[in-house]
Amino acid sequence: MTQHDQDLVEFLERDQLVADRSRPLPRAPLSGRANAALWGLRVFTVMLSVMVLYTFVSQLGH
Amino acid sequence: MSPPPPPPILEGPTVTDGALALPRPPLTPEDAARSRDRFRVHTARRHRRRWYLLWLLVGPGLLTMLGENDGPSMISYATSGAAYGLGFFLPFILVTFAMAVIVQEMVMRVGAVTHRGYGQLVLERFGSVWGWFSAGDLIVTNLVTLIAEFVAIRVGLSYFHIGAGIAALLGVVLVAFTLSGGRYWRWERIVLGLAIFNGLFLVAAIMVKPHWSAVGHSLATFSPFPAGSFNTLLLLIASTIGATVTPWMIFFQQSASADKGLTPSDVRHGRYDTITGGLLAALFGCGALIVGAALAGHGGSGVVGLAGAGFPRALAHVSGNAVATVFALGLIEAGAVALLTISASTGYAVGECIGVPHSFNNSARKAAVFYAANIGAALIAAAIILIPGAPLLSIALNANVLATVLLPVALVFMIMLANDRELMGRWANNAVNNWVAIAIVAFISVCGGAYAIDSFLQAVHLV
Repeated sequence: MTQHDQDLVEFLERDQLVADRSRPLPRAPLSGRANAALWGLRVFTVMLSVMVLYTFVSQLGH
Repeated sequence: MSPPPPPPILEGPTVTDGALALPRPPLTPEDAARSRDRFRVHTARRHRRRWYLLWLLVGPGLLTMLGENDGPSMISYATSGAAYGLGFFLPFILVTFAMAVIVQEMVMRVGAVTHRGYGQLVLERFGSVWGWFSAGDLIVTNLVTLIAEFVAIRVGLSYFHIGAGIAALLGVVLVAFTLSGGRYWRWERIVLGLAIFNGLFLVAAIMVKPHWSAVGHSLATFSPFPAGSFNTLLLLIASTIGATVTPWMIFFQQSASADKGLTPSDVRHGRYDTITGGLLAALFGCGALIVGAALAGHGGSGVVGLAGAGFPRALAHVSGNAVATVFALGLIEAGAVALLTISASTGYAVGECIGVPHSFNNSARKAAVFYAANIGAALIAAAIILIPGAPLLSIALNANVLATVLLPVALVFMIMLANDRELMGRWANNAVNNWVAIAIVAFISVCGGAYAIDSFLQAVHLV
């Protein structure tokens, strides 16, 4: 990397640097209720997806 | 050229609060490439070159919105027009794009403030189960949608008597070509150049000489309301939503905003970018519907758009070869641009979840997984459309519906991230943002859920 590149890097915010972006963030604190709601949403979505896939497969038979 | 003094530290993310006094970590070629783009932004801002600054900062929003005006979406709009004429669906397209702009503004803001992609943030903030579920959702819907994009390219090319093999080859070559160069800026500008041709749908709409008074009446009154079976109506509503707000848009715009190097000081321009993209995409989407409406009353409801070259051929009979040619070229463009943006969102998602380099500012050697996922998704989709007897019509019609069904999870996590004050600081959502976003999630969930349940009950002969 040239000196010019080194100078231009000053124009990046510190947390734009690859080294900083690669540093994992801590887990977000979630209440039990929020966790349960997220799981409920996931189950709902998986059920709907299965329904769409079943409908899709059944359409293939016609 | 020696660079001017560095910009002042901007207010923004709290992720690295307190770390600014530390020595800089080792720099990578990706940092160097991004800093060259940021230097130009800084110079344009310092010299108050407003239009040049806008030119430098637009991209992710326009690409996301015009990318979502993809092959299956345009066919879906044209199908609605052919089946029902001008009416409910014309203003409904505007409503769905308004929803898309609200969602994508949040996405852009989170990307600009955190400098991280959606997949990475979900994985880090909510754990690997949710991260991989989100990425899994995305990869499934992306593969299905990419197949539909190749179908659209194939439909467009077949009007010019070019076969499926060439369509698949051209698509893959296009993805490979845009990936060469190792610069985000180059990739973005090539795709933007292609995306301009989404305007062909508006040209075609003007060429069919619609009754503009009927267009105005439809936009003002949402009428006439479509008649027909409840299930068909739900399918069209769900697929219109799925044609406008999708999981890949969330992954793509956030990752692209971070990859482009947007910062909190660019949020205002990011909003211009997103709103302009939404307006153009809504205009061009309405164009596709108006073109389709030219077939209403001419057996339009019976046009099976993806079987052979249904739409362009039917248009040639009703409106002439010139309209059909423009529409066919529009389908090729719509499929091609979406092929590039959706492949990119797959690459970003895989790279972020595995935790390997995931930037167009890296060489293929340095970001092998990112590039492999990008082109691999296109290759798999291309291979599927070449399978004799593959149910392409059914895949294409269900792609948007599946995206709608899987969207609420992505939206809920997006709202949670946009409200995460540890990440977003003063850029977090306000109460109005949240109420509107929650209403959008509820609306999309109800529409997608109603269609999925109704279709399922019909499939098992319970209704």
